[in-house]
Amino acid sequence: MNSQRIRLWDLPTRLFHWLLVLAVVAAVVSGQIGGKLIDLHGKIGLAIVGLITFRIVWGFAGSTYARFAQFLPTPARIRAYLKGEWRGLGHNPLGGLSVFTLLLLLTAQVASGLFANDDITFTGPLYGLVGKSLSDRLSGIHQLLSNALIALVVLHIGAVIFHGRVRKDDLIKPMLTGWKEGASGEPARGGGMVALVVAVVIAGAVVYGASGAWLPEPPAEAVETPGW
Amino acid sequence: MKIKLLLALLSLSFAGAASAQLKPEDAIKFRQSGYGFMAWNMGRIKMNVEGGQYNKEEVVKAANAIQAIANSGMGALYVPGSDKGTGWEPTRAKPAIFTDKEKVGKLAMAFNKEANEMAKIAATGDAAAVGAQLGKLGDTCKACHDDYKAKK
Repeated sequence: MNSQRIRLWDLPTRLFHWLLVLAVVAAVVSGQIGGKLIDLHGKIGLAIVGLITFRIVWGFAGSTYARFAQFLPTPARIRAYLKGEWRGLGHNPLGGLSVFTLLLLLTAQVASGLFANDDITFTGPLYGLVGKSLSDRLSGIHQLLSNALIALVVLHIGAVIFHGRVRKDDLIKPMLTGWKEGASGEPARGGGMVALVVAVVIAGAVVYGASGAWLPEPPAEAVETPGW
Repeated sequence: MKIKLLLALLSLSFAGAASAQLKPEDAIKFRQSGYGFMAWNMGRIKMNVEGGQYNKEEVVKAANAIQAIANSGMGALYVPGSDKGTGWEPTRAKPAIFTDKEKVGKLAMAFNKEANEMAKIAATGDAAAVGAQLGKLGDTCKACHDDYKAKK
């Protein structure tokens, strides 16, 4: 048993990943049930806005293997991987492809959700910026995308299990502990405190924007309604 | 004698008007109006339950409006051929509404039941109970939408 190991996933990346797992599960469940849970669904959506924003910033400011440039799934790299010729650390090209696809889908999902409505009592936090007609269309997209998202998550989980059982490459442990056992190469570098603070601050700002808290307040209860 | 003849003629023409088939476009307009008006009133109840200020009278008015529309026999507005066409906007009624009559009927009766319950609870002025019933009522809206309202 090779006792070598390298530092692969930094703590912010790992925290992001597992918080996202919880958030997406909660969002799917609350979204499917609807009713009393729909307001919670909206709040979880805002949390996912923050998580995704963080990850995108971290893709530029984080440690080695979290950076997008490191695992960019170019056609050449994908071909090499499919031919079994890829020798690297961190996300392999297909894994990288799924990261980008998931990030894209999740972005589209939360973005459409911010403007959505359920025809009953729920309106997204930015509903006030669009008319009902556009909101209805975005709501339709939001519903449609949720199926694609669930399918992609199932595929992701399947791929991770496949890697573990068939390829004998445990992907879960490194995403929990940050260490990849039995590997040698460049340890993860960068993604220090400054980068973390910047990423968190930017994520917070985007969540604030998404929450619509900055939208002008409707006039206070002093509105007189006629008695008829 | 003339009066009787006149009355007979008048009643015939009114009877004719009543049994004249509603045009699909009009039927769609009427039912879209009905649902939209109910949506306004759902929102009013929600605002009162969550806003911090509970106005019993407003909630009563809203609940009564929803109850009235729910019990008004809107099934009659799903006239044959109205799964296509435009009222205020293109209809989102799925063709299945016209074939799954039994299931749709059950969903509609469930909606009526919760709407009646809401009106009863609103009359008591109990904000917490109204809030709980709002959830149940919304669930009956969703139950029909999930299967019979097309996504845009």
